[in-house]
Amino acid sequence: MAEKVCRHCMRVLEGQTCVICGTSDLAEEWSGLVIILDAERSEIAKKLGVDIPDKFALKVR
Amino acid sequence: MSEDSQIFVIKTTANQERSVATALARVSKKEKLDIRAILAPDELKGYVLVEAPKSGIVELAIQTIPHARALVKGSSSIAEIEHFLKPKPTVTGIKEGAIIEVTSGPFKGEKARVKRVDEGHEEITVELFDAVVPIPITIRGDTVRILKKDNE
Ligand SMILES: [Zn+2]
Repeated sequence: MAEKVCRHCMRVLEGQTCVICGTSDLAEEWSGLVIILDAERSEIAKKLGVDIPDKFALKVR
Repeated sequence: MSEDSQIFVIKTTANQERSVATALARVSKKEKLDIRAILAPDELKGYVLVEAPKSGIVELAIQTIPHARALVKGSSSIAEIEHFLKPKPTVTGIKEGAIIEVTSGPFKGEKARVKRVDEGHEEITVELFDAVVPIPITIRGDTVRILKKDNE
């Protein structure tokens, strides 16, 4: 199944809605993958403003 | 205090960057390794970036991952890879007046002059050279190749 990206929080997800944002405003075309595993200690997470570990896209269309 | 993060680079098989990133996340969780983040920017073909405090952790993690070919020697700072976190719009570098060639879609192979650049929508409006009547058409910024930057 094709993964989509929430336009609000940039989470990569399967299905039709983002459970975090409660929106179905999803992008089918996206690029760049970031996986945050340790949001507390990751500098990348800090730069992106991410505080919950998950998969994110860097860009959507 | 936890140890400082560094960025390590893994060489992967081409087009397997995302599968390596996903597999690495799975191994890291299962083995409870101190891997903090994994980055697979589209601009970086054949490589995946890993945020961890020590190279040994990454070296260990990639042993069982298919398509993860090797750990590149040395490490980078976060500052050195920060630009990957803000990908540029595909129209960046395309200016009004530039001459482009359309690389896909119904106008593939046509040459045109750029009339307008829309950064927000990543689209450009062009006028085809071969059209009998010059009608502006709007196309995606990633479906063109720049032939001449402007009409100098
Ligand atoms: Zn969301």
